[in-house]
Amino acid sequence: MNSRLTLWWSRLAAMTVKELLQLFRDGFLMFAIVFLFTADIYMTRNVRLELNHATVVVHDADHSAASRELIYRFRPPYFQLGGEIQDSREGQALLDQGQALAVLDIPPYFQRDLQSGRPTDVQVLVDTSNTVLGTLAASYSGQIIGRYGFEAALARMGASEASLDTVPMIQDQHRVWYNPNQNDAWFIPISELLTVITVMAIMLPAAAAVREKERGTIEQLLVSPLTPALILLPKVISMTLVILAGTAISLFLVLVPVFGVPIKGSLPLFFAVTTLYTVATSGLGLYIATLSRNLAQAAMLAIFILMPMVFLSGAWTPPEAMPAGLRETMYLSPLYYFIEMGYGILLKGAGLDVLWDSLLGLTLLGVGIFGIGVRRFRRQFG
Amino acid sequence: MGEAAPLTPAPAVRVQGFGKRYRRQAAVAGVDLEVRRGEIYGLIGPDGAGKSSLMKAVAGVLAFEEGSIEMFGIRIDSEAAAERVKGRLGFMPQGLGLNLYPELSVEENIDFFARLRGVPAAEIAARKAKLLAMTRLDRFTGRPMKHLSGGMKQKLGLVCTLIHEPELIVLDEPTTGVDPVSRRDFWAILAELLRENGITALISTAYMDEAERFHRLSLMHGGRVLASGEPDAIRARTPGSVVELEAEPQVEALDRIQASLAQAESVGPRLRVFVDDAEPEAAVGTVAGLLKGLSLRDLHATTPDLEDAFVALLRRQRLVEERAVAKPRAGDGDPPGDDVAILAKDLTRDFDGFRAVDRASFTVHQGDIFGLVGANGAGKTTLIKMLTGILPPSDGEGRVAGADMHFAAQAIKARIGYTSQAFSLYQDLSVLENLRLYARIYGVARHAAGERIEQVAELTGLTGRERQLAGRLPLGIRQRLALACALVHRPRILFLDEPTSGVDPIGRRRFWDILVHLARVEQVAILITTHYMSEAEHCDRLALMHAGRIVADDPPAALKQALREEAGELLEVATDRPLAAMALLEQAGFAGVALFGRHIHLFARDAHTATREIQTILAGRGIGLAGVTPRPPSLEDVFVYRITALEQGEQRL
Repeated sequence: MNSRLTLWWSRLAAMTVKELLQLFRDGFLMFAIVFLFTADIYMTRNVRLELNHATVVVHDADHSAASRELIYRFRPPYFQLGGEIQDSREGQALLDQGQALAVLDIPPYFQRDLQSGRPTDVQVLVDTSNTVLGTLAASYSGQIIGRYGFEAALARMGASEASLDTVPMIQDQHRVWYNPNQNDAWFIPISELLTVITVMAIMLPAAAAVREKERGTIEQLLVSPLTPALILLPKVISMTLVILAGTAISLFLVLVPVFGVPIKGSLPLFFAVTTLYTVATSGLGLYIATLSRNLAQAAMLAIFILMPMVFLSGAWTPPEAMPAGLRETMYLSPLYYFIEMGYGILLKGAGLDVLWDSLLGLTLLGVGIFGIGVRRFRRQFG
Repeated sequence: MGEAAPLTPAPAVRVQGFGKRYRRQAAVAGVDLEVRRGEIYGLIGPDGAGKSSLMKAVAGVLAFEEGSIEMFGIRIDSEAAAERVKGRLGFMPQGLGLNLYPELSVEENIDFFARLRGVPAAEIAARKAKLLAMTRLDRFTGRPMKHLSGGMKQKLGLVCTLIHEPELIVLDEPTTGVDPVSRRDFWAILAELLRENGITALISTAYMDEAERFHRLSLMHGGRVLASGEPDAIRARTPGSVVELEAEPQVEALDRIQASLAQAESVGPRLRVFVDDAEPEAAVGTVAGLLKGLSLRDLHATTPDLEDAFVALLRRQRLVEERAVAKPRAGDGDPPGDDVAILAKDLTRDFDGFRAVDRASFTVHQGDIFGLVGANGAGKTTLIKMLTGILPPSDGEGRVAGADMHFAAQAIKARIGYTSQAFSLYQDLSVLENLRLYARIYGVARHAAGERIEQVAELTGLTGRERQLAGRLPLGIRQRLALACALVHRPRILFLDEPTSGVDPIGRRRFWDILVHLARVEQVAILITTHYMSEAEHCDRLALMHAGRIVADDPPAALKQALREEAGELLEVATDRPLAAMALLEQAGFAGVALFGRHIHLFARDAHTATREIQTILAGRGIGLAGVTPRPPSLEDVFVYRITALEQGEQRL
């Protein structure tokens, strides 16, 4: 019995070493791994999900001190002035061409009406084809104009800004936690890293298994005394090792030094969760490998699985933004749990006491996915 | 149309100083050849000899750097020139049915090519009907191409190549991977086309024994032409004689001969020796002199075949790597063990109502080389899968290496070695890494592994190449690596599935040297499948499979003897107008009439009566008869005769 166990381990080790050797000799795959775990994440460095010098063009029909004062308030970092236009149709054209995000239209007699206390309107046209930016631009410009109107009203009543304190009103005192500067520079690269881990966890085992089929090497393994488990486990083990190494490189060479991401929680817990996630997801890769005859087919199938998986994970679209029916299906995306736990551990310092339900979810889902992948693999190659 | 193509000033193809490079690697260099109108011209050589590059260039689908190609007197030096001759040319690339569309039916494929080639709609139906009838595909017009057998795919490819009635067809390895019956069928169709349409054909092949099918040919090796001309003329380039004999003990006899003569091999129970520059008498004397004291039987001289000439040519031009296959002496400590290696009793395997193997029974003893031949789909692969423990049998019993197939598949896997047809080792690992991997997979103890790996590397001539990546090795050496990996755990039984496909004759000889050593000295039982009938001669026993059943199981000599008794003598008829003569002889009711280049083969019960009959028939039409000579039948003749008889029997049912 003992010698059989030794033999089993020796075979497992030999096959794992073989998988790693093959991977290291595949120049293209190695390049893809290094690129995705470093440069790809580094590239998100200056990406912000907020207004950044959005161009505003102005149609000023009043040309008064009041209108200039209002226009002056649309300034960097959120806005920048894109110049003045002569009529509103020109503004429409600039919006159509995408050269301006918003058009500010100030009517004639703006200053007179404002000072005489008559109601007056300004029009803001916003391009919301990009919903996030459009909504932000609408809301920011609304705030700017509202504040300006408020101040103008106060001034007309002879009150100063200081006297505001005497007016009864609710003060909004919100505090932002976990990412106090609302720093997108943390959110985006972490999302990117978790997505890269997902892509690798599906593609690497799928590629390793399909390559055996494509080159006919599987035939030689099937007539050998290896059991199907000894053919597939080494692929999962070796690719998980590679992904863990890539994650470590990404974390310590990119996320922490470049983005200053704080690692608030336990690193061993993070890597343990990553291991669990990678093994679970590799089941999908093995499943794909049984369905495809060559690498191109496997890649197509992987994209087919990855797109909904990433979409339903909350990596780029928060669960709160999903309609009711879709929100429940998010529980089927292993990436959903991984993102919960990834953010939780890295940014919130959360431990198992908080994350146990996500961990349970991922474990159950993982056992299911990996089980299906292994079953199909054994059926095809058993 | 007549034969003996009219000698026109412009040949069908003229190639001068042709050269093609891939990156900096020269694939072909300095090739000259001329294909006359109305002849079948052959390019023979192993994989990587440069045949495909040359054929693609002739077909106008590959740009080349050096030399010139003329077709029907038009120099192909530009796209426009290539366009001008395209209508007169048909090209079938290498690979079974690769130019066809798997999802389309036979008829849809033909229609597609007809429209692509702009065949007038009025003519399509007539041409299609004629070609379908000729290839006997007319019963399968609605079947999707992917469900055709290998031979049928090849015939459909030929029909699609011929639908626009080209004057010249260029066929790249049309017979590779096709079983002997389909191959012979293919050649018969070509002969008919030649007779009826007078087309010219340029055809490449890796099978040396197909040389006799060509009027003229070029032997290629390593991107160069070794020799060109008629088969007889090429044989005459390497004067010498072949001596065949049976000697006891065979291993010692072969060792003695190989010590002084470079070109010697064992073929089954016989030895075959090529003696340079010697007349038959002298050659026999030389060999007998080397083997003094051994018991010799049936010592005689025969004429060298083209493969002998090919090997001799390579040897003389010093293109052969030095004989590296060392043979460790016997006494590796293998116990002789149970004498029966494989025992199959009524083995049967069904797939969803389809019986792939039907009551196969046979026995293979330790030290035997057992050959399994049959068309694609005859059930060889399924049988091997059962014997190697991958597939459980539906019925019947089998013991392999002392383990029962029903209960101990895992034990079987651990005790056998297996090499598949496609090179199935890791190309991105080195020779040593591959060997080590398989040593560990098969559980060779770590301390013993190093020594054993050295041993198999020496046996298979891989010493000195341990650090090279498997993918960079030439095909022949790769197959030896596959063999080495299969041997690393000292299996008592070896399964080899078409191990020498595409390997050059020298590589094949070396491979067989190793196999013979394993069987004779180390008493390993070997079960091998092959499409090379010349190779099947090496087997001690040969089982012929057809439609899942083993229809013959005997030593090669006994199979040939049985053929003589059943079908009669094989006669070779040499005439000045073979195509016309062939039609006449077929009408006269001779069995197995087939065209081999300028000669006709047929079977006759009584050679004397038949010869007189042939003389009368041909003289009546004024066809000159150069001679009728009895020929020893080849295993291919046996195979084709048996299978054709069975197929005809099935059709009658």
